Amino acid sequence: GLRRCLISMDIHHIEEAFQEIKKTIQAKDTFQNVTILSTSETLHSIKPLDVCCMTKNLLAFYVDKVFKDHRELNPQILRKISSIANSFLYMQKALQQCQEQMQCHCRDEATNATRIIHDNYDQLEVRSAAIKSLGELDVFLAWIDKNHQGTSA
Amino acid sequence: DGVTVLPAPQNLSVQSTNMKHLLTWSPVTVPGEIIYYFVEYQGEYESLYMSHIWIPSSWCSPTEGPECDITDDITATVPYKLRVRATLGSQTSAWSTLQHPFNRNSTTLTPPVMEVTKDGFHLVIKLEDLGPQFEFLVAYWRREPGAKEHVKVVRSRGIPVHLETMEPGAAYCVKVQTFVKAIRRHSPFSQAECVKVQGETLPL
Repeated sequence: GLRRCLISMDIHHIEEAFQEIKKTIQAKDTFQNVTILSTSETLHSIKPLDVCCMTKNLLAFYVDKVFKDHRELNPQILRKISSIANSFLYMQKALQQCQEQMQCHCRDEATNATRIIHDNYDQLEVRSAAIKSLGELDVFLAWIDKNHQGTSA
Repeated sequence: DGVTVLPAPQNLSVQSTNMKHLLTWSPVTVPGEIIYYFVEYQGEYESLYMSHIWIPSSWCSPTEGPECDITDDITATVPYKLRVRATLGSQTSAWSTLQHPFNRNSTTLTPPVMEVTKDGFHLVIKLEDLGPQFEFLVAYWRREPGAKEHVKVVRSRGIPVHLETMEPGAAYCVKVQTFVKAIRRHSPFSQAECVKVQGETLPL
């Protein structure tokens, strides 16, 4: 299954990079009572069968949208975001290679959950949405950890 | 932007061994003056999606020497573009960019240094600390015809690891290689080292 795909991902160093900027990023989030990733009916209700598609969709969400929409001037934070973004790019490529040998179907459940996340994102002003999604990276990383037990180093 | 007078640094190259990456270049010299260099990098993500973004290196913005340890900047297994420029007061050179992007999966992995010892009848190995990205694959066997080779994956670093309880008079041999999960590559095996319970380490 997907564990074999992401088994060689060094998720641990991504978590470390995020922990170093989490406080600063979350402090910039001015809409504390709103969430993009962690509404209960999205990530936490994803079934094992949909994990691959959801992982693919969320990597794309961050790579194609969040990291691009965020503007960062602080070099220390920029380095950590770059580290995470390039690691997600590597994961996308590894997942792509893996998909040729295994199924990564997108059923309605995963497609709907992804749309909810994009809808949540689009309801906020783009910079606010990007900063909030960055601040919720730990939700996504924890979800990856939980669904790919063997991957964290 | 300062007036570009200084020549740009030349001959950029990266030497990478065991996931330690060093960017070097030919120094720019102005008699009697100290030249400072600024190093910046761009991961594949920035190249693809934000090509105007260059990130100042963690340790070399600025630096005096014609080299820069970029290990802490290269944190994903994707191609990285690197560039350097020289400055002297308000004078700055043009940027020089590394000819080919660097990917850490090209690092040279060397056989690890090991210390094989006996603690009474216990075969013990101690491995050099190469950092958190390294695992060690230790192969050991009893030196006799048809002996089975045992393999143990060691993740602890720099501390003795018990391999086997030896039988008196028997000789045991050990070899080891590293594995780096982030780039999915192994090093070559080290030379085998053998010990005999009541004897000294025997060269092969």
